[in-house]
Amino acid sequence: MIEVTNLSKRFGAIVAVDDLSFSVQRGETFGLLGPNGAGKTTTISILCGLLRPDGGSVSLAGKTDPMRPEVRASLGVVPQTLALYGEISAQANLEFFGHINGLTGRQLKDRVAACLETAGLTQRHKSRVSTFSGGMKRRLNMVCSLLHDPDILLLDEPTVGVDPQSRNLIFDNIEQLKSQGRTIIYTTHYMEEAERLCDRVAIVDHGKILDLDTVENLMSKHGGPSHIEAEVEQPPANVKDLTQSLKVESLDLDGTMLRFQTPEPMQSLAALNQSGLRFRTIKVETTNLEDVFLNLTGRRLRD
Amino acid sequence: MSIIMALARKDLKVLFAEKSNLFWVFVFPGMYALFFGAVFSGAGDGPSNMRVVVVDEDGSDFSEAFVSRLRANEALAVLPRADANTPAKPIDRTDALERIRKGKVAAAVIIGEGFGEGFATWFDTSDPKLQIASDPGRQMEGAYLKGLLAQAQFETMGERFGDRDWMRGQMRSWRSEIADANDLGFAQSQVFLSFFDAMDSFLVDVNDNVYASGLDEGMLNIGNLSVSKEQTGESPQEGFQITFPQTILWGILMSVICFAVSIIKERMSGTFARVCIGPIGQSHILAGKGLACFVTSLFVVGMLFAGGKLIFKVQIGSVALFGLAATCTAVCFVGLMMLISTLGKTEESVTGAGMAIIMLMAMFGGAMLPLFVMPSWMQRISHISPVKWGIYAMEGAIWRQFSLAEMLLPCGILLAVGATFFALGVLMLRRARL
Repeated sequence: MIEVTNLSKRFGAIVAVDDLSFSVQRGETFGLLGPNGAGKTTTISILCGLLRPDGGSVSLAGKTDPMRPEVRASLGVVPQTLALYGEISAQANLEFFGHINGLTGRQLKDRVAACLETAGLTQRHKSRVSTFSGGMKRRLNMVCSLLHDPDILLLDEPTVGVDPQSRNLIFDNIEQLKSQGRTIIYTTHYMEEAERLCDRVAIVDHGKILDLDTVENLMSKHGGPSHIEAEVEQPPANVKDLTQSLKVESLDLDGTMLRFQTPEPMQSLAALNQSGLRFRTIKVETTNLEDVFLNLTGRRLRD
Repeated sequence: MSIIMALARKDLKVLFAEKSNLFWVFVFPGMYALFFGAVFSGAGDGPSNMRVVVVDEDGSDFSEAFVSRLRANEALAVLPRADANTPAKPIDRTDALERIRKGKVAAAVIIGEGFGEGFATWFDTSDPKLQIASDPGRQMEGAYLKGLLAQAQFETMGERFGDRDWMRGQMRSWRSEIADANDLGFAQSQVFLSFFDAMDSFLVDVNDNVYASGLDEGMLNIGNLSVSKEQTGESPQEGFQITFPQTILWGILMSVICFAVSIIKERMSGTFARVCIGPIGQSHILAGKGLACFVTSLFVVGMLFAGGKLIFKVQIGSVALFGLAATCTAVCFVGLMMLISTLGKTEESVTGAGMAIIMLMAMFGGAMLPLFVMPSWMQRISHISPVKWGIYAMEGAIWRQFSLAEMLLPCGILLAVGATFFALGVLMLRRARL
């Protein structure tokens, strides 16, 4: 559905996108995860025709060159900034963006009503957008891109600076869109969002893709082992046998406290349970995409 | 077309949702019309006359007649004031000069002793009996006053010439002066004496009516020629009519600034990019912006036109040509709007650059002060300002009574400048985007 091949873009001496290539299947939610300045927004801007790339190509639903208006017809873009007219009402904003996307008459009216409902703004449809809270603006910012029911959605950090309630509403909307078979590219620097929403994730830094895979595979490849800490009622009689049964390299015993690292935490917990030990507490620290990024770049996502 | 209309409609909604925009687009030009219209029409308590103080050190009949002449001149407000019931309280020379220094009066006229003695004193340049002191900051008014004094002096002299007895007295006085003059040759003395004899005989013999009629027209008789082809109203060149084109231009200029700022605001807020992402061509977006600005400009012109007609009773020579002038001016400044919107990357920089350009154009184009009060070099520079051509086209339609052919020059220039500005603006906007 989306093909990006050897994409590159420079702004003077700064390389924003460096030979980026990936493809997104129909119905897939694809994440671009990286810190600020990694090149995510530049990539989105090229995909939606706002920027002309210095090199490489983009294909959207089989059509190349998104600088052409007809190529953008199947595209819905949720920009990172709140691109709304604060001086006019939510309904007037939706009507305007609907017009821009070719909707008129009854169809426009129905879609505006549906989008107001989706954003939870039906009661406030006549209020000026400038009077809205940050979360309300974010929700409206999102549904303005859904008016024309696009096949492809480019969501550029759609939850920046929103309250938990609005964030959950936006997640619900995205999951609903996923279930409807939309093809989505989702950029974020929140690893929890990528883990929750994305089928595959590209880890991006300095305009390059460091790795691209499913969340599980990325964590398995780059996340390192999980940390398990268990307090038992009686210490194990034979630590060496327990270490072998858990298939771990080493096991630390401190009084009644057991500590070890394992790449397969679920299997290790099952083996512990079968060993006959009785537990008081168990604490498991699994790996996440933050660890993946840290291991790939030596930096944290929000450094 | 419906997309262009939607873009324009949205821009108009956004523009008019902001109350400060309404002030700049409608109220400010109206205030301009009121202020300068009143200045040029002399509305209210009459035109502002030049305040002069007169010091009469002569106190002769002739100096009193001269002061009365000055008082009768509408262009002057003469101090000390006097009316039928209250005689003027004299002001001395020191007090008069102090009043100038403090800026209370524009000038002082000092009538020296001997002013009323006759011809000899009037034309004695070594010891002038009439002196003027004027505010150094108001030299133009000082020069103007000299002209008015000359007029009053000639008119007073004219009155004296009508007094045959006084004239014969002057003849006798000159005859005795010539008879006593030792440095004058005999032949020259005889020429003057023969002339005075002939003059005296003429004054004795001439019929009263014939003598009086020779002075009826006064000594300075300058007629006024009309430059209009046809006068269409009762008072065709009143102040509001003169300032009406400037008012219209201010309305359009303020619309231009508001729209230029709206474009940069959209670029900064991301809405411009969002519109560009839509499946529409850039030409649609720019046409929509241009259309909104054009419609607003014409709407402003329409509102000011209605206000001008209803409130200020402005006479419009040709409504059709006025429409043509307004359309061409609006087109020109839509182009300027597009260019201004690209002159900065923030709202502040675009507003600053836009206001600077608009002010310069308005200053040199005659939108702040009418061109006729500017020095000639400024009037020559004004040709490069499209504001001048906008005003000129409007004046042509309102009171210069231009034909369609005469309108072609200003309208053609406005359209050409507008197209150039628009093309430049579009190029720069594209460059900024990519």
